[in-house]
Amino acid sequence: MTELGLRAAISLVQIAAVMGVVMLTVMILTLAERKVLGWMQDRMGPMEVGPYGILQPIADGLKLFFKEDIVPAGANKFLFSLAPILALVPALIGFAVIPFGPNDTVEMFGIAFKPFVISDINIGILYILAFTSIGAYGIILGGWASNSKYSLLGGLRSAAQIISYELNVGLAIVGVLLLSGSLSLVKITEAQSGWFWNWFVIALPFPQIFAFVVYVISSVAETNRLPFDLPEAESELVAGFFTEYSGMRFAFFFIAEYANMVLVSCIAAILFLGGWNAPAPFLQFNGSLANLAWLSGIFWFTVKVYFFLFLFFWIRATLPRLRYDQLMRFGWKVMLPIALANILLTSIAAYLFPTGKP
Amino acid sequence: MSKFKAWLKTIIFYEILVGMRATLMHLLHYKPITVQYPHEKRTLPSGYRGMLALLRYDDGTEKCVGCDLCEAACPSRVIRVVSAEVPGEPTKRYSKEYYMDMTRCLFCGLCVQACPVDALGMTREFEWSVYDKRQLHLNKEQLLAIGDRSYPVREKRLEMQHPNVAFFNVAYKTLPQKAS
Repeated sequence: MTELGLRAAISLVQIAAVMGVVMLTVMILTLAERKVLGWMQDRMGPMEVGPYGILQPIADGLKLFFKEDIVPAGANKFLFSLAPILALVPALIGFAVIPFGPNDTVEMFGIAFKPFVISDINIGILYILAFTSIGAYGIILGGWASNSKYSLLGGLRSAAQIISYELNVGLAIVGVLLLSGSLSLVKITEAQSGWFWNWFVIALPFPQIFAFVVYVISSVAETNRLPFDLPEAESELVAGFFTEYSGMRFAFFFIAEYANMVLVSCIAAILFLGGWNAPAPFLQFNGSLANLAWLSGIFWFTVKVYFFLFLFFWIRATLPRLRYDQLMRFGWKVMLPIALANILLTSIAAYLFPTGKP
Repeated sequence: MSKFKAWLKTIIFYEILVGMRATLMHLLHYKPITVQYPHEKRTLPSGYRGMLALLRYDDGTEKCVGCDLCEAACPSRVIRVVSAEVPGEPTKRYSKEYYMDMTRCLFCGLCVQACPVDALGMTREFEWSVYDKRQLHLNKEQLLAIGDRSYPVREKRLEMQHPNVAFFNVAYKTLPQKAS
């Protein structure tokens, strides 16, 4: 009984830590996005709250927290309240299987646990895909329950878009799964240890560069970010599925979007760029400092994740929104064939040149 | 060959990469053109046409002679002048009442050009947002106050005063003696 209690306590501490880090990242992202966009467009971004506007996320959070909670007339109150939670929970729950650092086992109070991954389940990537798909329900239900045309249109667009691009995400990572021979994110990362040419994006026998590009584009589309933000296109749909939302419910959708961004960046870093592995073995603590290797592991993981997050902002600052038929054509006629061909070629290559990995 | 080049450009997203390079260059060579307005203000160009004001001479007399030309010149009927004789001076007139409805003013400066005695001026004030629109209906005292804080010194050129013409409004005490 005490063992079970201890395990639960350790897990809860891990969950709290990961949630805290994710929420902190979301806070940083809301500011960083506005700053980076501003700098790229020769503006300054937020400058008023705190020195150089660094306290802006806190001000935004306070504002959203104290805003009036409005449920529009004719809205389905239950679903209207449920939708933001349905959007937020799947975005956060995926972090349960993300390994942030090396796969060390630590023993504390006689219980062995892995400090840098909450739960190393052997179908990690499948679990993430399953839960991020549930996030689409939040968006669709939020759009439908608002009793507003704009919301409904945004929700429907979002449904079509997420289904189209979820497929490409799923197919793009199959190549990586073929090469690593595992669905566990920890095992996939360990298969890429060593030098940077072991990372799956350029690893032999078949570099996953096409899958990588397909994954990045599809993940931008899946998180409803520009240039694929059709569900919330301001110029057409006011704000899309959260037109009628305000206050904390809007904040839930907002946090969900940013948490999704962090999640897909984590997955991209793990699957294609080797997760916590340094580009070269000498760039991490080893030898006499080997028990500090987790520090460099977390550092490299953070660098990779933030590279992807910056890429999100960068693309947003550069590209205009796609037209809806362009979006669908690009998803089904370009991305899907590339992903399928990649699977075919990868499986042939993996059959002819087995890597010896399980 | 050019077809192959075009195809290659398509599959490596050449145009998108060019655009992303442009945005990255803006990020690296960061020179914001924003002015943090309430904290720092732009340098106004010379000849800036801001808030209208009524002016005085140094000795405190109003310049306005109540001729109504500004009212006639105004394209949006901002100005209303009630003209009257200076008491005890039948040859001289002044504006008994002078109203400006600044909600309508388009800052064209025609009234300033029309004024024969330079009694109107355009200041460099532009921060005139108010919560109540009625505060933009200005009367003579308010307009004179704006003029006083924007044009502190206006000399009186008495050499231009013809004794028989009611040109300048002059304080009663310092009236130049008419040539007899």
